[in-house]
Amino acid sequence: MTMSSGLPENFKHLEPYQGWAHSTEDGRMRQRLEATMDEITDYYRALLPEVNNIANHLQQWPLDAIPAAQKPLLFMALMFMETAMCVEFFHEPDVPEALGAEHIEIYAGRAEQLVNQSG
Amino acid sequence: MNSNARPFAALHPDIGTGPVSTMPAVDPAFFEKEREHIFRKMWINMILREEDLPNAGDYFVRDIEVLDVSVIVVRGDDGKLRAVHNVCPHRGNRLVREDGGNRKGFQCDFHGWVFDNQGELVFVTDEQRFHDLDKPNLGLAKVHLDTWRGFVYVNLEETPSQTLEASMADFNQDLKPFPFENMVLAGRYRYEAKANWKTTMNAFQESYHAAFVHKRSVQQCLEDDADPYLASHRIKLQPNGNQSISVHLPPHELTPTEMIAYGMGATFTQGGDADQAAIPGTAQEGIENWAFDLNIMFPFSRINVGAGWYYVDAFWPITHDRTVYELAFYFPIPTSAGAMISQEYSKIVLRDLSREDLFTNEVTHNALRSGAIKSIQLSDQEIAVRHQYEKVTEFCGTESAGDDHE
Repeated sequence: MTMSSGLPENFKHLEPYQGWAHSTEDGRMRQRLEATMDEITDYYRALLPEVNNIANHLQQWPLDAIPAAQKPLLFMALMFMETAMCVEFFHEPDVPEALGAEHIEIYAGRAEQLVNQSG
Repeated sequence: MNSNARPFAALHPDIGTGPVSTMPAVDPAFFEKEREHIFRKMWINMILREEDLPNAGDYFVRDIEVLDVSVIVVRGDDGKLRAVHNVCPHRGNRLVREDGGNRKGFQCDFHGWVFDNQGELVFVTDEQRFHDLDKPNLGLAKVHLDTWRGFVYVNLEETPSQTLEASMADFNQDLKPFPFENMVLAGRYRYEAKANWKTTMNAFQESYHAAFVHKRSVQQCLEDDADPYLASHRIKLQPNGNQSISVHLPPHELTPTEMIAYGMGATFTQGGDADQAAIPGTAQEGIENWAFDLNIMFPFSRINVGAGWYYVDAFWPITHDRTVYELAFYFPIPTSAGAMISQEYSKIVLRDLSREDLFTNEVTHNALRSGAIKSIQLSDQEIAVRHQYEKVTEFCGTESAGDDHE
C-alpha cells in the first residue's frame, strides 16, 4: 500500500512512525520480526497513549468507508498490538521457544478485506 | 481447591488410569490404519461457513491430503450447496486449480469439458467423436455434504456410516445454541508442524501446560497461588470420542494493552465476567471465572467458544509425522475501527500462543520417535488425552503393525 503524505492534524507527531503502517496482519507481523527490540519499544511507547485517540477519531467512519488518508492511522494502531506482545510479554521481537514464523501463513479476515477493498 | 483432586477418572472407569503406549503416535503403520478406519469415515469440518459462499457460483476448494482428495464446495444456481470431487470425469484431470471464487461453471483445461455449478456435465468438445456418452451420469462425482449450525462438513464414505448430527452427539445440546451467526471471520492461520496429529493436538486438550508453555504469553493469568495449574472443573468425554474441556482464568490485572483492547470489545483472556449475561451453548454458568470451552469433534477438529468470540481449528493429519494446524477466529462483525483494533489484540495473542504449543509438539514428537520412552503418564487433568488414545486404539487396535519402527 502506498503511504499518504501526511497524517491528520491531531496525529502529526506520529508521522515518523508511518513506516509501520502495513495494511495486512501478515505484513505487520513480518515487520515486527524484522525490527529490533529498541525500535519496537520506541514504537510501543509512542503509540500507547494514542491508540484510544485513534479509535475515537476513526469512529466517525464505518470500517468500509475510512478515507485513504486516514487508513495509516488504523494500520498503526493494529501494529501497536504486535509490538505490545514483544514489550509486555516476550521482551524480544519474536516469540521465544515457538514454532518458526516461516511455518505460518496468515490470511485476511473480513475486517481487513473491508478496509483494504474500499477507497 | 477440589476436595477431590482427581474427579474425572471415576466418571470413566473404562479408560483406566495407567500409562498409555506411545506406539499410536509414532508408528507409520498405525497411521495407515487411522487413515482407513477413522479419517476415511469421518465427517470432515471444512472450516467453512455457509455464509462464506452466499451467491450462486461461489465455490471453495480444499485438498484433504491424508485422503488424497480435492473437494469443491459450490453453491449452485438453484441455491443449494454441494460438494464434488475436483476431478474431471473425462480422463481424471484436476478441474480447478484456484482456492475459490465465483463461477458459472467449471471447464477442464485438458480437453475443455464444461460442468455447471450444480456439477452437471453441460458441454463436451467435439462430442460427435465419442461413443454413446452417458452425459446425465457424467457429472462431477458427488461427495456427501451436510451442515451443522452453518458449518460445512463433507464425508467421503460411499454411504456415511452415521449422520453428521449423530456424530455431533452431545454438542447438539451443549454447543448448538451458541450465537455463531452473529460473528464473522476475523483471522485465519495455517501452521505446519513436524509431529503426529495426536501429539500436536494433545497440548490443546488440557490447561495443565499453560503454566509452562505459556508462561510468557499469558503470564498475567498464572499468578493465582491457589490455582497455579488452572485445573479444569469440567471435562466432558462423550462415548463417540467427542470431548469438551472448560478453561477458566482467574481474575488478573490487565496489561496496558489488554486494558485498551477490553475497553473496546471482548478479549481472548478476559470475557466471562460473573456479571455477564449467560452465553448459550457454553458451560459459562456453572464455572467460576469461566473463560472458554474447547469442544473437540472426534477425531481432530474443534469449535471453541468464548465470551464474544469463537474459533474453529483442525489438526489435519498429513503423514504420521506431519500435521497442518489450521485456525479460523471469529468475532462480532466490527462496525468501527475500535472494534477491529480490539480484536487484533486477541488475534495476535492466540496466534503467538499457538506457536508456543506447536514448538513443544515438534520437540515431543522427536523425543517419542527416539524410543527413549514407550509410554506416557497422564494425570486426571489430562484425561482427554487418554480418552483420545483409547478411541483411536478402539478403531485401530493396540498392536503395532510395523513392529520395528524404533
